[in-house]
Amino acid sequence: MLSPFEESLLSIMMVIIMFGMGASLTFKDFKLSMRHPQAIGIGFLSQYLLMPFIAFALARILHLSTEQTVGLVLMGCMPGGTTSNIFAYFSKSLLSLSIMMTICSTLAGFILVPIWMALYTQGIDDAFRIPPDQIARLLFLLLIPTLLGMWLRRKNANVGAIIELTGGLLGAVVILFLVVTWAPRNWRLLIETSWQVYAAVILLGLVGFLFGYLFSRVMRLSPQKARTVSLETGIQNGPLAALIVIMTFTGETQQLILLIPVMYSLFIVLNSTWVTVLYRKITHREEQARDQAKVEPS
Amino acid sequence: MSNDHIYDSAPWTPFYRVATGADHSANQSKEKHFSNIPAMVVAAAKNYKEQPAFTTCMPNGMNGHLTYSQVDEMSDAFAVYLREALGLKAGDRVAVQMPNCLALPVAVFGILKAGCVLVNVNPLYTRREMTHQFNDSGATALVIIDMFADKLEDILANTAIKHVVLTSISQWFAPLIRGVLNLVLTYWNKTIPKHNLNAQWLDAAIETGRTIQKEKNLDVSAYWQGLQREETALLQYTGGTTGVSKGAVLTHGNLLSNLEQVNSVAGSHIEAGKECILTALPMYHIFAFTVNLLAFYHKGAHNILVPSPRPIQNCQRAFDNYPITWISGVNTLFNALLNEEWFTVYPPKTMKVALAGGAALHKSVAARWRSVVGTPIAEGYGLTESSPVICFNPIGYERENSIGIPAPLTEVRIVDNNGATVGLGDAGEIIARGPQIMKGYWNRPEETAQILKDGWLYTGDIGTMSEDGHFHIVDRKKDMILVSGFNVYPNEVEDAIARLSQVQESAVIGVPDSLTGEAVHAYVVLRESGLSAQDIIKHCKTELAAYKVPKKIVFRDDLPKTPVGKVLRKDVRALAVKSEKAAQQ
Repeated sequence: MLSPFEESLLSIMMVIIMFGMGASLTFKDFKLSMRHPQAIGIGFLSQYLLMPFIAFALARILHLSTEQTVGLVLMGCMPGGTTSNIFAYFSKSLLSLSIMMTICSTLAGFILVPIWMALYTQGIDDAFRIPPDQIARLLFLLLIPTLLGMWLRRKNANVGAIIELTGGLLGAVVILFLVVTWAPRNWRLLIETSWQVYAAVILLGLVGFLFGYLFSRVMRLSPQKARTVSLETGIQNGPLAALIVIMTFTGETQQLILLIPVMYSLFIVLNSTWVTVLYRKITHREEQARDQAKVEPS
Repeated sequence: MSNDHIYDSAPWTPFYRVATGADHSANQSKEKHFSNIPAMVVAAAKNYKEQPAFTTCMPNGMNGHLTYSQVDEMSDAFAVYLREALGLKAGDRVAVQMPNCLALPVAVFGILKAGCVLVNVNPLYTRREMTHQFNDSGATALVIIDMFADKLEDILANTAIKHVVLTSISQWFAPLIRGVLNLVLTYWNKTIPKHNLNAQWLDAAIETGRTIQKEKNLDVSAYWQGLQREETALLQYTGGTTGVSKGAVLTHGNLLSNLEQVNSVAGSHIEAGKECILTALPMYHIFAFTVNLLAFYHKGAHNILVPSPRPIQNCQRAFDNYPITWISGVNTLFNALLNEEWFTVYPPKTMKVALAGGAALHKSVAARWRSVVGTPIAEGYGLTESSPVICFNPIGYERENSIGIPAPLTEVRIVDNNGATVGLGDAGEIIARGPQIMKGYWNRPEETAQILKDGWLYTGDIGTMSEDGHFHIVDRKKDMILVSGFNVYPNEVEDAIARLSQVQESAVIGVPDSLTGEAVHAYVVLRESGLSAQDIIKHCKTELAAYKVPKKIVFRDDLPKTPVGKVLRKDVRALAVKSEKAAQQ
């Protein structure tokens, strides 16, 4: 795990990154993302219907222990985090839609997380709830820098471009840092963990990406929107889950449950990176194709 | 009996009133007549001083701009550099090879102010094409973008170029922005290669020019004041689509006449000093050169330069950040914009008029533009050899599938193979005469004699004229296919094929055939699978007379195209002939 210093450093970096993401956006982008509100609804469903169920099913299939099941289902119930926004940006998906979905799912999580946890993890008596100050914190981390970035870009396009580049570069550095250092930093944990847990945390992300995409396509979202929903579905707010576990449980139970969010967070960065590279390529190819395509009859 | 009167009575004249919005003959332009381009440039700087003249807008929104005064001052200094530091003389050829960026107008105006002849070079040219054009024009100096310095380095020894001036896309951006942009271009986009050219940087050259100007107390206008309209301003290379590239000799008078013609027909829609025009087409191409760089500069417009409009997302920030009122484009550009959600959902509210040229504007694209953007989209027609505008559609009164009416002071006729005018509504070659027609091809009297006869420019385009003087293009004469003595126009066949929704585009060409002389072959790019050659032929049979139906369909992933996006039928034909030969062996 990260030290408190590292954690606050990461938070500051997240603010700068979101500042940069904001500088890539205009209000028009948000208006465009709200033009198809069903996309947000579909993302919402895939996050709060598909994911908890996938988590629950995986836990059953892999015969996870009670504690691990609690951890995995909690992971499945989490809203999206700012990480999903960064990957949306890098994969050239619809960042504005991704941010809108993160905001909506975080707010809704306040009510939905306790309900789902009660439903899926009967037998564990502790009441799960997202601490309200955490929601406020996340919204603050997300909204203020984004809005500030947007405003600065509007004021001066050059400043906006520099901020966007800085944010993007820092985002890439942070992701690279996490990818490169997670094995050396966590080798002991990695050795001790059973293959079932590996399978569960890796599959949760991947199946989330896949089902998020397929579901959106079935619901007739455009491929680019479907990719955005897919990333938003697969990438859950790992740190938030870890925090909830720490606040809800104590002692050995806490440590056993905590394993899941920690392992999930490690692997989701890796998986998202591959998926992002793939999505970026597809987006690029679509752009090229659109460049050539005929105008549709109006 | 001669049909000359049909055309020489200029049945289109009443439409000039429509075009100019005033009740005066457009033949008597109210525009002030300049005797050369530098005079126009200097006058614009006097009128619009500190107003923004050019802004380069990068895909990420990074930008730099120059005011009218800056462009004037720097092009003065550059003229001094060319004449005094490099020792060039009036009439010497200086080549400019760069995409749209701030350096282009400064270099171009500087060269013209020095009394030199400008040679526009397509930056996408290969080493072989560059060598040919440099040697053919006899250019001794070159201003080139650093992105292609490696190509130049390889061929420099094979040319007569003695002086190389380098510039970059980020030229005259704010220092920090410039530094960051250069890093991105060098290491991320990898578009700036390493090179060992012995070259001067443009800003250093201009600084040298300033110093000399001050020391010798030079009056730059002395270089250009004596230039007459008959004198050569520009060698504009053309023929890439038909054969060996040759330089159309365009005089100050050709270009200024065309500027005046554009102004007299569109001027009532242009608010002097208030317009903002998107320049996504390359200014080394005659369309954007005359319309955006000259005509709109003259009117005090703010030119937003997009260095590379492909993919079309590269234009998004320009639309976000600037109140674009005019846009000039080719069919493919409008087509691409209309395929973007960000453009179609929030089309620019400030937009007033779109100008189309370069290639035929498709009916569906024009219709979609009008319904989405809600502004007129006016198609014009012309050639490099005519500076370029010959015909235009009066803004607000455009006609579908028509290139409109001849520009003021321009005569247009339609003739048969013997040069005799054809009857009303009959198809024939479009020929044109007017002040915008080039002097000839540079050092090529034979080619000149083939295309210029008695002052008439033979366009090589087959067209018709309607009763009220509106012209229509049928096809390129060279592309016409002769099947057992019947004329087949590829455009007509391509249009029929395009009506199949699975088809993205096609090129129809004639291939030598022992039975029919030529046979129609179609090269087709599908946008989705599920269409067989038989399906296409069957469809064509319901749409076209039997002799026009393609004998053979070849499916391709893409078609050879020019940088502006025109399909190169000549290259397709070469492909077809090669594969036919291979099949026979």
